[in-house]
Amino acid sequence: MNMRGPWPPALAALAFYAVALIWRAPLTASMSTHMLVQIPLLVLAGVCAERAWRAWRDRAGGAGSSRRPPAWSYNEYGMPGLLFASLVGACWMVPKALDDALVDWRMAAFKVLGLPVAGWILGASLRRSNTVVKLFFLGNFCWMSAIVGLIYLDQPARLCNAYLLDDQAWAGNGLIALSILLPLAWLLVRIKPVWRFLNR
Amino acid sequence: MRWALALLLALAAGTGALYWVTAGFTVLTAEGARRQAVALEPRPLPDAPVIGADGRATTLLADLSADGRVAIVNFFYSRCMSLCLAQGSQTERLQRAIDERGLAARVRLLSISFDPRDGARELADYARRMHAQARTWQFLSFADPEAGARLLDLFGIVVVPAPLAQFEHNAAFHVVTPDGRLARIVDLDDPGDALQAAVDLAAEAGR
Repeated sequence: MNMRGPWPPALAALAFYAVALIWRAPLTASMSTHMLVQIPLLVLAGVCAERAWRAWRDRAGGAGSSRRPPAWSYNEYGMPGLLFASLVGACWMVPKALDDALVDWRMAAFKVLGLPVAGWILGASLRRSNTVVKLFFLGNFCWMSAIVGLIYLDQPARLCNAYLLDDQAWAGNGLIALSILLPLAWLLVRIKPVWRFLNR
Repeated sequence: MRWALALLLALAAGTGALYWVTAGFTVLTAEGARRQAVALEPRPLPDAPVIGADGRATTLLADLSADGRVAIVNFFYSRCMSLCLAQGSQTERLQRAIDERGLAARVRLLSISFDPRDGARELADYARRMHAQARTWQFLSFADPEAGARLLDLFGIVVVPAPLAQFEHNAAFHVVTPDGRLARIVDLDDPGDALQAAVDLAAEAGR
């Protein structure tokens, strides 16, 4: 199997989606795993599916079908897509969304269908965006995540009817950790170009 | 041009999703949504068999209409070591206010236990602990767990099992009319508003 072909990301997407759906009961039993495991898995499934689709299209279309930039794009610099993904991310920071996803089929559908779509758009947009745009949206998401995490930690009352107060604090801690780890991970992935830039 | 259009479209779609999740930017929690939904549209309650602290068996709707007063309802379980105690002392203050203002002919307090372990004896013990006066403040518990669950569902009460055989549950004052309608949900911190809402509803019903 060709490691650069469409199969590895396709299988990853399927695996992420299957795990998020099959273990939905234990994953949504606590607020922290609901927010920080199941929802990211659904987004990752979309990101991987987009990668698989791109690899498949590249192979089918011969050399350079995606390397050749299109004459125009609806998603220039990935900005519309990143804006959309950010707003969907904001939706899932709202405690009501987490509560409703457990009892309201429309919110559940928005979760299991909307999040992979948002992940697909996120992946496609990140590829089109440059470092400045990426930094802007990453920074934006991280402060939102950190602030929401602090609010969860700080609340003496429960924000979700379905979850315990202790668990809310765990989810808060997790969101704050996410806001620190995500930029760190990005920096690690991008360390080479940053290093090259610093040593110019 | 296409880019600006796409940006606007993304903004509209994302903001639309947020608008939908927050019920038009008005609520952030399911608890807030529940209170708002009831305020906009009072809900008729399904019936459920209950037992009282004196051991008598009846149903909730029969009890509400037989009593004839507007009831300020809250939910509890007698073994609770946290929230129900705060709720209990707020309800005790409410009881005092009802008595002092001479409203006991129009408004009463009704605490309903959702814990199947609470029988008549546990209710009576709890009533004693809370200094409840039988005329103003009554206690019920569900005789049929399934009907009880349906009723909790309609009220929007979510009971989550917690460590140490405790439960966590959303708590509030629920103003219920004698004809079995859930008319208002008021925060535990505003017992005065709950009482005012109950008095208004009693006046509307012409009592």
